[in-house]
Amino acid sequence: MDVDLSSQDLEFQQEVRDFLATNAHDPKTDYGQWRMNWFELAKAKGGWDVPKWPVAFGGPGWTPTQHYIWEKETAVAQTPWDLPFGLSMLAPVLMNYGNEEQQQRFLPDIRARKVNWCQGYSEPNAGSDLANLKTKAQLSEDGSYYTVNGTKIWTTLAHIADWIFCLTRTSDTGKKQEGITFLLIPMKQAGIEVKPIITLGGSHSVNMVHFTDVKVPVENRVGEEGKGWGYAKGLLAHERTGLAGISKSLVALDFLRLQASEVKRGNGTLLDDPAYKAKLAELEIDLLATEFTELRSLASAANGAEPGPESSILKLKGTEIQQRIQKLTVEAGGIYSAAWGKKNVGHSFAKAGMSGYLSSRAYTIYGGASEVQKDVVAKNVLGLKKAK
Amino acid sequence: MNFDLSEEQQLLKDSVDRFVGDNYDLETRQALSKNDAGFSDTYWQTMAELGWLGVTVPEAFGGFGGNQADTMVLMEAFGKGLVLEPFFASAVLGTRAIVAGGSPELQSQLLPKLVAGQCRLSLAYAEEQARFDLEDVVTRAASSNGDFIINGHKSMVQHGGSADYLVVSTRTSGGQQDQQGITLFVVDCNSEGITIDSFPTVDGQQASEITFTDVRVSSADMLGELDNGFELLQDIAIDGILALAAEAVGAMEVLYKDTVAYTQERQQFDQSLSDFQVLQHRMVDMFMEYEQCKSMLYRATLEVVQQGREAMRTVHALKYMVGKNGTFIGENAVQLHGGMGVTEELRIGHYFKRLLVIDAQFGNADHHLSCFAG
Repeated sequence: MDVDLSSQDLEFQQEVRDFLATNAHDPKTDYGQWRMNWFELAKAKGGWDVPKWPVAFGGPGWTPTQHYIWEKETAVAQTPWDLPFGLSMLAPVLMNYGNEEQQQRFLPDIRARKVNWCQGYSEPNAGSDLANLKTKAQLSEDGSYYTVNGTKIWTTLAHIADWIFCLTRTSDTGKKQEGITFLLIPMKQAGIEVKPIITLGGSHSVNMVHFTDVKVPVENRVGEEGKGWGYAKGLLAHERTGLAGISKSLVALDFLRLQASEVKRGNGTLLDDPAYKAKLAELEIDLLATEFTELRSLASAANGAEPGPESSILKLKGTEIQQRIQKLTVEAGGIYSAAWGKKNVGHSFAKAGMSGYLSSRAYTIYGGASEVQKDVVAKNVLGLKKAK
Repeated sequence: MNFDLSEEQQLLKDSVDRFVGDNYDLETRQALSKNDAGFSDTYWQTMAELGWLGVTVPEAFGGFGGNQADTMVLMEAFGKGLVLEPFFASAVLGTRAIVAGGSPELQSQLLPKLVAGQCRLSLAYAEEQARFDLEDVVTRAASSNGDFIINGHKSMVQHGGSADYLVVSTRTSGGQQDQQGITLFVVDCNSEGITIDSFPTVDGQQASEITFTDVRVSSADMLGELDNGFELLQDIAIDGILALAAEAVGAMEVLYKDTVAYTQERQQFDQSLSDFQVLQHRMVDMFMEYEQCKSMLYRATLEVVQQGREAMRTVHALKYMVGKNGTFIGENAVQLHGGMGVTEELRIGHYFKRLLVIDAQFGNADHHLSCFAG
C-alpha cells in the first residue's frame, strides 16, 4: 500500500508543471486572445487541449493517474476557463455512437472552441425523472426530417449556444426509457425561442428553450431512433471522475483562509474565532478524507478495475464540500455579504461571495440531485431494491 | 499508487479473519468478557503462535519487523470481531514503548517474552486532572541513589489488571503541564507499593485505577531519556490512535452491513424496512461515513509510516473523524434496528459500545478537532 507516484508519473508531473509554468499565466490583457493561444499551445504539446479524448480522436491517451495529475496541476495554475458541453459531454457520444460524417463535421469545431453547444435534457416535467421527457420529434413521411415541438429547461448558456444536443421523444409506446432519440439542432433559427431564467445569484446562465415546428434533418440524428437514452447514459459513464472537484476545492480552501485572514476581529482576525476555526477545520478534514477517497478510486481505475464503492460517494461529498466553502465565504463577509448590485462595500470578496454561494446551491441539484445519487448508491452498492 | 494489501498483509488478514470467524461468535465473546481477566488466555497463546504479538517487534527479537500499516491490518480485523484480548494495550502501546525507548538489555529481556505471549504490557498515562492532555502529569518519579521512587495515581489503564509490566509516564522535573520533564519507566506490576483496582468497562473490556506508593524502579527501567519522554509518549499515542482507528473502521463495517441486512429481513407495513427511501438514504450516509473514515485511516497510516510525528495533524483529523462518524454509524445502526437495537441480544449494540469507548480513548472528537484547528 502506497500513494507514491511511479517514476514515469513523476516525470509526467514535472513535464506538466514545466508546461504550465511557461504557458499558463494570465497576461491580464486581451484574455480572449490569450485563452485561444493557450489551447493552441496545449494542442501542439500532443493533444493536451483535449485531455480526455482518446488517441484515435487526437487526445493524449493518458492513464487515470495522468488525468489526476493534470487536474491537480491545472487547478493550482488556474488555466483558462473551458466549457464542458461540447468537449466532454457531446464529443464522447459522437465518438461512440455518431457516424464518421458527424464526427468529421462536429468534432474539429468543438476542439477549436469555435462552436458553443448546450445540453437539452431537462424539461419542466422531467428533472430527476429525466426519462419522463415529452419534447416530441415527429419523422416526416419521406423520412428526411424530424419536426420538433416542446420545451427544455435549465439549459445552461442556451443564449450564447450555436447548437443544442437534445433528447427527444419519438415514440410513446413501451417503457419510457425507450422511444428517446438523440438530435443535434442549430440554435439560431426560427421556431426556437430562448427565455432567460435569472437564478438566486442574480446571474443569467440558464434558460428555458421552446421549440415550435423546428425541422431537423435526419442526418442530425445520432445513432438509431429510439436509442438516445442509452447514449446519454453511456455519456454519464464518461464523466465518472472529476465531478467531485477536489483539486479545485483544495485551492479554494487556501483562498478562503486568505480572505478570512483579511477580516479583522478584536485584536486578531476571523481565523482566531473559535467557532469559525472549528468549521474551517471540519471542512478541511472532510476534504482530506475525500481527496483520499478519490485516490482510492483512482488507484483501482489505474489497475484497470471497475470503480469500487468508494467512487460512488465522490459527487455527493465533493459538491457538498464546494457548497461549504462558499458558505464560509459568505460568513466571512459578515454584513458586507448583504451588499448587492454593482457596488462593492467592505471586504473585497463579499459581494462575489454571496452570489457564488447562492449559485452553489445548484451543485447538489444538477447532474443528478444528491437524493437521486443516494438512490443510486442504495441500489448499486448496498444492493437494495428501488424505493417507492 | 496502490491501496492493495501486500502478499504478507493479505495472509495476515486472512488468518485473523479465520480466527475471528472460528472463535468470536457473540455468545463466546460475552462469556469470555465475564472471566476474571476479561479475555481468553488460550486465544492469547494462539495469537503468539500465529506471530501476531510480534508484528512490530524487530526480527532480531523474534518479531515480524512490521510497521503501522501491518498493525492496521490486524486491528481492522480484530474490530470486526470485537476481539477482547489485550493486543492493543500490550502489542501496540506497550511494545512500541519498549521498541522505541528501551535499552538493548531491556529489549532483549522483554521483547522475546512479549512475542511468545509470556508476558503482557499496558500503558499507564492518564490522570484525572489531565483529561486528554498527555503532558499533564502529576505522578512523580524522584531520583534516589541512582534509582527512582514513583508516587501518584494512574487512571483508566486498559487491561492493567492482567498486565505483567506497566509503561508509566512520570514527572521528573518541570511544572504539571510542561512537555519537558516527563520520563517513562517500565514498572513490574509485582513491585512493592503498587495497588491495582480493576473493573469492567462498558465495551466488555477491563480497566484499572493504579496507585503508586514509593514504588522503586532502577534507571535501567527508564525508556528514552530522562526528562525527554514526551515525544516518546506522543509516538506511542500516535500508534495507539492509528490502531484504534483501524479497529473502529472494522466495527463500522459490521454495523452498516448488519443494518443493511436487518432492514432487508424485517417486514413492516407489508414490505421490507429497506424499501423505505428514508432508511435507504440513512444507510447510504452510514456507508459513506465508513468509507471516508477508511480513506482517512489509509491517509494517516501511510503518512505516519513515512513521516512519523510530522504527520500529527493528519492523526488529529483521523481521530476526530473516527469519533464523529463512529458515533453516527453506531447510533443509526441502533435506530434502524428498532427495539431489537437496544437489546444485548444483537451484536450491533456491542459494536456501538466499543465505538463509544474508542472515541474517548486518547482524546475524543472535540479534542482532536481543536488540536487540528490549532
